Amino acid sequence: MISHIVTAAIGVALALAATTGSTGAQQDFPTKPVQLMVAYPAGGSTDIAARIVAAIAEKSLGQPIVVVNKGGAGGQVGWTELVRQRPDGYYIGFINLPATNTVILDPDRKAIFTEKDFMPIINQVLDPGVIWVRADSPYKTVHDLIDAAKKSPNTIRAATTGILSDDHLAVLMTEEAAPGAVFRLVHLEGGAAQFKEIMAGNIDVAFDNVGTITPRVKSGEIRALAVMDDVRSKFLPDVPTMKELGYPTVVSNSTRGIAGPKGMPEPIVSKLREVLKKAMEDPEHVSKLENQGLAIKIMVGEEYAKYFADTHAKAKKYTEWAKSRPQR
Amino acid sequence: MDTFQHLLSGLTAATSLQNLGFALIGCFLGTLIGVLPGLGPAAGTAILIPLTFTLDPIGALIMLSAIYYGAMYGGTITSVLINVPGEAASVVTCFDGYQMARQGRGGTALGIAAIGSFVGGIAATVALIVVAPPLARIALSFGPPEFFALMVLGLCLITGLAGQSLLTGLLMTVLGLLIAMVGIDPVRGAPRFTFGIPSLYDGVGFIPVVMGLFGVAEILLTVEAPYREVVKTKLTSLLPSREEWRRSFGAIARGTGVGFFLGLIPGVGAIIPTFVAYVFEKRLSKTPEQFGRGAIEGVAAPETANNAYANAAMIPLLTLGIPSSPTIAVLMGAFIINGLTPGPFLFKERPDLVWAVIASFMVGNVILLILNLPFVGLWARLLRLPYQYVCVGTLLFCVIGAYSLQQSVFDVGVMIVCGVIGYGLRKIDLPLAPLVLGLILGPFIEKSLRTSLEMSGGDLSIFYTRPISLVLLLAAAVVLVGSLLRPPPPEVRESKA
Repeated sequence: MISHIVTAAIGVALALAATTGSTGAQQDFPTKPVQLMVAYPAGGSTDIAARIVAAIAEKSLGQPIVVVNKGGAGGQVGWTELVRQRPDGYYIGFINLPATNTVILDPDRKAIFTEKDFMPIINQVLDPGVIWVRADSPYKTVHDLIDAAKKSPNTIRAATTGILSDDHLAVLMTEEAAPGAVFRLVHLEGGAAQFKEIMAGNIDVAFDNVGTITPRVKSGEIRALAVMDDVRSKFLPDVPTMKELGYPTVVSNSTRGIAGPKGMPEPIVSKLREVLKKAMEDPEHVSKLENQGLAIKIMVGEEYAKYFADTHAKAKKYTEWAKSRPQR
Repeated sequence: MDTFQHLLSGLTAATSLQNLGFALIGCFLGTLIGVLPGLGPAAGTAILIPLTFTLDPIGALIMLSAIYYGAMYGGTITSVLINVPGEAASVVTCFDGYQMARQGRGGTALGIAAIGSFVGGIAATVALIVVAPPLARIALSFGPPEFFALMVLGLCLITGLAGQSLLTGLLMTVLGLLIAMVGIDPVRGAPRFTFGIPSLYDGVGFIPVVMGLFGVAEILLTVEAPYREVVKTKLTSLLPSREEWRRSFGAIARGTGVGFFLGLIPGVGAIIPTFVAYVFEKRLSKTPEQFGRGAIEGVAAPETANNAYANAAMIPLLTLGIPSSPTIAVLMGAFIINGLTPGPFLFKERPDLVWAVIASFMVGNVILLILNLPFVGLWARLLRLPYQYVCVGTLLFCVIGAYSLQQSVFDVGVMIVCGVIGYGLRKIDLPLAPLVLGLILGPFIEKSLRTSLEMSGGDLSIFYTRPISLVLLLAAAVVLVGSLLRPPPPEVRESKA
């Protein structure tokens, strides 16, 4: 008992020492440029959105925010780098849920980090999943599509944007919600490849995100069947949600947010949160992102932490299923 | 309004003082990006996007496009001067360009590259204006099975690169394919040959590998060789001789064709057209033994193809809204940020903008030629420096380049290891070109094979029931059988590149 008290006392003393020792440093934060890591090569949509927010936020931060691209292995290289940094606020980075989660969850990836190694700061974008076909496709609605997938299972070619992408998980959610429906999965490299193969008739249906396809829906080249979110997308107001269509469990999004390595002191986190939030609410940021069809969804603190945890639990379920499905 | 009128108004817009300025800045920055080996056109364009936020959309797009094709040209300079490809599409230029430089014809090599690039770029732009939309639709029919067949045909063309023995050629190709397999399996997501090192999950970077195999290996070989006479031949003759003109003429014409047609097919990338043009030229040549030893056609054809490709690759973007390479995807991002979606509708909604950008391609190609020809002499003068300085500079340049690729020390290590391997391979006289081809084609072959089989549910008939795929596979068979039956060339010694 006494030893416990002693231990606790020492602990408190150490903690106090640590806090007092660094309070000065924290109040001054930042005294040098902040690095903002993007786990994808320069030029992707995460990167471009990162550069937009960095350019605005650095004005109120008082120090430059330098975007650092650490692309590779579907983000794994960058996230590995992020969790290894000192939690002093000078190195933060983008996390892309659920891609970050599936990298952690896929045992083949042997990731050295877990969901607990990140300190979520603020979410920037939430891009809902969408199911779409060519404008002249025989599938006019999601019901047409699901009926066909039930009637002749494993023949309808459904494109994802890569193995264990949010779109891959979305196909599995759809199959789960409509028992008997089985798609023939074709993993393509991204939205541009999907569009090309759909137009050429090599693919029957694509699972992607609203941000990628909105302009093409407007131009009439393709038809969006359903949005996989709780509410309709402001970019595609005429497209029903899966929830409205009777599949409430089919909710799939791709998000981009900023996190740091775990253990960052609260004053620094709140300073970053405040500066980044202000930048994300800036009209220039909003218009540049909305031009790309990207829905801004600012989430901070508890809300973002909970979103992270929920996404992780959900991704776990479908990742395990994806790994055991006969046709991956 | 007809096309011609559109083009004229586009030209008027593109030649306004302000837009000319943007094109000039873009060409200059692009050349710089091309010269730096690590910073490729995609990353370079992306980093400069924020610069364009404050410009008007036309000016911004003109500048970014100029950066893109400027980079395509800039990569040539280091290939020729120091055997280090400044960006991926300039690897092939090393084969003969560097040899030409060693023979004191570096100026000519750069000169013909500039002229070839100019012709290729202009011709592809004209073709873009005249025939683009229908052709782009046809190119769409190149799905994964057709792509696979095309890549198999490409692989069979190796026999044209194999050098003295088909066996060593195949050996090196397989080595290249093997290196290409490192990383996460593109379809099932399983790591291969990664030894648990996350840096290897994306595979071994192409740029560090070729910088090592060519640049670093060259330094090792030269340092070891007895004191080399600094090239003292006249460098003033930048323009090719009459004889060289004659030989380059056909190469430039064919390079334009190859680059243009491959540019129409989304997903081909900038490297493959240069290889195809090179192999094609070697096959047609009456003196194939000169390839790899400073044949001017070996520079003219791939350099032309590379710029024709760069301009033609804008066709799928502007007519269908499909970005056909990573750099074009970045450009597309720049369009979209400015509230413009590339595709058929942009032609209708903003013809002024589209035509100004297209016209700026022509203007940009002229600027590049004017910008580069005078510099050729300056660059070529670098070759007169004593090698002990050049080699230190080259090594430093390679290290910085490999590091700047993704700020990774690992890539520097890959480059150095590949330098040692390249040195060993050159010592035992194994050809490097097939290895590079295997490395390039490997991921394409695997991805297209497996995507095709995913589409068909594992049924192989998808390859021979689709007409284009069938024809390409038959052509591959003909090439392969033909080269097996053909007696070996009488020349005993062959290219080392």
